Amino acid sequence: MTDLPTSPFPALLVGLPILLATLSLFFSARVKALVGLTGCLLTAGLALIAFFEVTQRGTVIHILGGWEPPLGILLRMDSLAAVFIAMTAVVGFFISLYAWRYFRAQAATTGGFPLFWPLWLFLWAGLNGLFLSNDLFNLFVTIEVIGICAVALAVLSGKTGALFAGLRYLLAAIAGSMAYLFGVALLYGSTGTLDLGLLGQVLEPGTTTTFSLLVITLGLMIKMAGFPFHFWLPPAHSSALAPVSALLSALVVKGAFYILLRLWMEVFGVSITYAAGQLIGLAGAVAVIWGSWQAFMQTSLKLIVAHSSVAQLGYLLMIFPLLILAPGVTADSAEWLSPTWTAGVYQVIAHAFAKASFFLSAGLIIMALGHDRIESLRDLVGNMRITAMAISIAGVSLIGLPPSGGFMAKWMLLKGIFMSGQWWWAPVVLAGSLLTAGYVFMLLRLAFAPAREIGTFRPVPKSLEVLALLLALGSFLIVLPADYLIQFLESSEVFGSGIESILKGGAYGND
Amino acid sequence: MSVLIDIILAILAVYLALQSLLAPRLTQSVFLFFAFGLALALAWIRLGAVDVAITEAAIAAGFLGVLFLDALRDFSPRGSEKKENLEAVQNALPKNNTKSLLLPGMALMLGLGLFLLIALEAVWKIPDGGGLTAAAEALLPESGVEHPVTAVLLNFRAYDTWLEIGVILLGLLAVFAVGGIKIYRKPVMATQDPLLRQVILFFTPVLFLFGAFLLYIGKTGPGGAFQAAVLWGAIGILLHLGGRPVFSMIPRWLGQLLLTIGLGFFLILGFLFIAGGATLFEYPPAHAGVLILIVETMAAISIAAALTAIFANLNQMNEGPNEIESTN
Amino acid sequence: METYQIYTLTSAVLFVIGIGGIFASKHFIKKIIATMIMGGGVFLTFVSLAERDALAFADPVPHALVITGIVVAVASAAFALALARRIYQLTGEESFTDDK
Repeated sequence: MTDLPTSPFPALLVGLPILLATLSLFFSARVKALVGLTGCLLTAGLALIAFFEVTQRGTVIHILGGWEPPLGILLRMDSLAAVFIAMTAVVGFFISLYAWRYFRAQAATTGGFPLFWPLWLFLWAGLNGLFLSNDLFNLFVTIEVIGICAVALAVLSGKTGALFAGLRYLLAAIAGSMAYLFGVALLYGSTGTLDLGLLGQVLEPGTTTTFSLLVITLGLMIKMAGFPFHFWLPPAHSSALAPVSALLSALVVKGAFYILLRLWMEVFGVSITYAAGQLIGLAGAVAVIWGSWQAFMQTSLKLIVAHSSVAQLGYLLMIFPLLILAPGVTADSAEWLSPTWTAGVYQVIAHAFAKASFFLSAGLIIMALGHDRIESLRDLVGNMRITAMAISIAGVSLIGLPPSGGFMAKWMLLKGIFMSGQWWWAPVVLAGSLLTAGYVFMLLRLAFAPAREIGTFRPVPKSLEVLALLLALGSFLIVLPADYLIQFLESSEVFGSGIESILKGGAYGND
Repeated sequence: MSVLIDIILAILAVYLALQSLLAPRLTQSVFLFFAFGLALALAWIRLGAVDVAITEAAIAAGFLGVLFLDALRDFSPRGSEKKENLEAVQNALPKNNTKSLLLPGMALMLGLGLFLLIALEAVWKIPDGGGLTAAAEALLPESGVEHPVTAVLLNFRAYDTWLEIGVILLGLLAVFAVGGIKIYRKPVMATQDPLLRQVILFFTPVLFLFGAFLLYIGKTGPGGAFQAAVLWGAIGILLHLGGRPVFSMIPRWLGQLLLTIGLGFFLILGFLFIAGGATLFEYPPAHAGVLILIVETMAAISIAAALTAIFANLNQMNEGPNEIESTN
Repeated sequence: METYQIYTLTSAVLFVIGIGGIFASKHFIKKIIATMIMGGGVFLTFVSLAERDALAFADPVPHALVITGIVVAVASAAFALALARRIYQLTGEESFTDDK
């Protein structure tokens, strides 16, 4: 791995946002926002440049301190990491612009939440660091950075409900990362390395390995709010400020999913069995049904959107059982792997765009109405045309109607399900879409219904509405470069391969 | 004989952990947790991890213990003892008359018991991976320091350490986020207690010198930035308790500089290395020793400042809002 | 039984006690203490396995990881404590009342 081309970009992607966050601490509230926004724009630009660098040169690495693994730490930017970093950059860019305008509009009463900026930049650095990390312990540090930033952002409003939700979120996050770290301790003890690549080569099956797999998976499931550990998510995401809710649901929960994916694919091959895959798939399936049903039952907009996240994250867990190959099947002959992978990546990206847009729109509705009870959404179309449009478009993508990114994800997932012969997951995908359609159309029906009283909507800045709409449109536009994106992703070692350990009965990826 | 010490220590740690969770009064819980931290520190000395022992005693037991004790001012006077007793009984014994607690309690116990059995088997059967002792030993001469733990922290895995300095600063920002920014410039009267004054007068130079000693000795033996930082942080906390909050006695920009210099200096140094064609945190071998000492000093200053600020902010958190002057 | 094994077994026990404490404790402070106990168990695993792998000195990498880990855990705990105190000030609650 250390003979790959080196590049300074991975280090800059982590260093630059932290440098700017540190810098912003020196300034007063108003300048802090400006420095913060500049930092966000620079980080987004840098991320896109790095993305293009990877498209040109392939996987690049950065050997920190010049010490090669196992003693040192290596940052690796392969196509999967590049896609996640670029997604963070694009979604983060829009949310940053929104946040700047949103806080400025309310600065008179709230002080403009200057702490948002350093925390968001730290969070961004943590996310980039997580996507680039190739070291088990370094991953722990990055998820702690992300966890503390996420909770601090979630409680920024200072309201009692947000504080309760934040403490619960924080305790769940600490428990999750400690469980993860316990697994790391055992893996280090049994192999003497923390580097993912080396670990995948030397890890032997056994009780300790299986147990590490168990605690690491449980810890990360808590972090990504996988069923049945989703309890902390709806209160925390729904009580946060609008731009923060968007960040938490679009980006933060994807971090834990990314680690889970990397570890299952690259490290744990030797101890993952068919049953383990079915179990995590079942958790995903229950989350899809339960989350969608709960969303359907809510009466406030932000709670609907937050519960919907639980369901949409469930789809991500459902790709795991399909990635595990039965004895005698190789990755080359298993043609359902490619659609399954595409489904996973598109689900992540489409959900990031659609959910960010949804939460930003919800923030505007709260700004206009002072609350977000859905019975007040009557005649949204007449009062906030652009926001109504954003909600419809994002909703369509969440349901998975063509030609949205959500459709692409669900269609590919169904394709993977039928091609792999695990047909029993198919009804879950369909039921999830139907239930999603249920709550989205419930919202739209209200939005189009005639108003009972006139003049309850206060005006909101047009630019904010447009930003939410652009994100919603993004969840459709991502379908356009699909061929190119999949081709690019296939250059990653992980993408397109499956877990074939049972077949080999030995070290994964080391034949 | 020595095995006996280990067994007693192990049982003690487990006992203290259990008791600190089951103790009926919050005060007891906090003191038992403090004792638990010290038992762990002893265990780490037994295991040859002197650096970890100092860190545990200083930060986990010491600093966190002080934060907990300070928090008790909030919780214990109003939280009635009776309520706590009842709660503890319910936690400890599922056979309590409330029937609704019985079933989940049993299920939890059963689940945890099963999990414990698997966990014990997993740690018992752990294969020997050999660790990285040999690798660290081979590269130690190139690291610029002689103490292997310092070499790992400040050179081989400097990236983790840098992020960790960031996490402490983040901890402070997170505390700000909870209560608003208000540590600076709170007018506090100097303490009238002559004894406390004497204590502060005596301890400030002692702690400072001892911290500096730990920082310097980190090059060759147990000690280093984190341990030194806690001692320096203790100065800040003592001064705060003595009515001389550090952050209100110095200019605002200086406070911010102290808080960020560790993270910022380390990062800018890393960027300079990149500009010079190396990678992030790749010290030029000839100057590694000196640079590490400077980085450690900066880091210790920032960590000490952050710990002081965290304590100060928590300490004043719940004193009425009109006493506290917001600076932002 | 080797010395390190006494401590690895203890570490598993502490880890499980911590998990149980997070679930079963009601008071915020006790929940925070429980997370620290859980962390103590994890760190003990690292350090005891480092002693097993000792040559001229014990494996320095886990020692460094644990020092990092302790500081990170304390930062999280301080944050949690701040939240708990703030909640108590605003509502007088010492535990999650709307508990599942």
